[in-house]
Amino acid sequence: MPGEEVLLAESERPGQPPEREEELLAEQCRAGSAPAFERLYELHGARMKSIAANLLGDLADAEDAVQEAFVKVYRGAASFRGGSRFSTWIYRVLVNCCYDLLRKRRRRPEPAEAAGNSRLVAPATDHPLRLSLETCLRGLHPKRRAVFLLFEVEGFTHREVGDILGFPEGTSRTLLFEAKRELQRSLWKRGAAAGVAGAGA
Amino acid sequence: MSACRRFEQALARGPEAVAALEAHARGCEDCRGRLRLWEEISAAAPSLRKSWESPELPARIVSAVNAASPEPPAPDPEPRRRLTWIPAAAAAALFVLSMIGLYVFKPGEAARDPLSNLRAVRQPLLTDSTLSDVESAESKYLESIEKLSRLARPRLERAETPLLVAYREKLELLDSAIVEVRGQIERNRYNTHLRRELLAMYQEKQRTLQDVMKEVPS
Repeated sequence: MPGEEVLLAESERPGQPPEREEELLAEQCRAGSAPAFERLYELHGARMKSIAANLLGDLADAEDAVQEAFVKVYRGAASFRGGSRFSTWIYRVLVNCCYDLLRKRRRRPEPAEAAGNSRLVAPATDHPLRLSLETCLRGLHPKRRAVFLLFEVEGFTHREVGDILGFPEGTSRTLLFEAKRELQRSLWKRGAAAGVAGAGA
Repeated sequence: MSACRRFEQALARGPEAVAALEAHARGCEDCRGRLRLWEEISAAAPSLRKSWESPELPARIVSAVNAASPEPPAPDPEPRRRLTWIPAAAAAALFVLSMIGLYVFKPGEAARDPLSNLRAVRQPLLTDSTLSDVESAESKYLESIEKLSRLARPRLERAETPLLVAYREKLELLDSAIVEVRGQIERNRYNTHLRRELLAMYQEKQRTLQDVMKEVPS
């Protein structure tokens, strides 16, 4: 998009565009249109940041991953030939960027509570389990964690989760159950149930 | 707290078993608590969404995108030409693969077994010269498998039949196992046993990719 003026706006809660708009957007991105990328960020930027922050545990890294994903989408848009929805493909690119970053910093311990997290806006709906859940989530196998984040936290369907992570819908369901089972056991051990269920753990 | 094991048993059986536990949970305090927690996990999940202002990010993205150049679109051949090209390329790749396999792993009697040069080594550790031979053979073999992988990728991405889906999953498992063994080898390059394991995995991957190319899409 050299030579074009692009002003990107960020929306707080992106919605899923209707499929026709998405096709059009994909077409424009393939042509390298700057306003198309601007719209893409408006629609998906916030959700991409949230996914990256949860996968990486650090806001600055999350922003790096989103930036890298946009560059890869720009570079690869012309080669995108469908097979999955354009938006799903973008999230797949993002998840891969996050895994690349994780691999790069393998020797660096994951921040327990990232320093930059003070910038976080308080969640619209908080829950007494949030902190314990977040802690237990870090201990999950990466695939289970990713499925839980995409399905339960970000609201993707199993089909979309499968497309993003590159496995069948049924595998997404299985991994989600395994993730919840592991979380349930960890939370119960931690006694997190006491505040929620009124049952002693 | 009572020590009812019904919930744990249900967790081991699967989601339907957990859902069916509701009636029992009405009369069991322990299971009621666990079931409630199970449901609350999903209820609490949306609160993990992260939201923060990043006013500089859009400008950073613009500048990074401007600095990048788009990859040229892959040529889109006519459908009929593509249909004839793919099997021909697959056959050529298989042929090249077999030739490389013969050349790389042969020398001498055990030409048909790619593991033969490793099997010949009885010692648990490789010598420097054998290691260098093995690494060079591995890299050539790997290159040929990668070529086949690239040809199989479109089929695997579309995965139009249950068998192709199963092949894709098998290849994912093989790839992660390969990464794991390679990691171990990096820490212990002279270990013959690990090299054998790795080569066996490459062979399995090669066979699976060949099966993928033979599978007729529905």
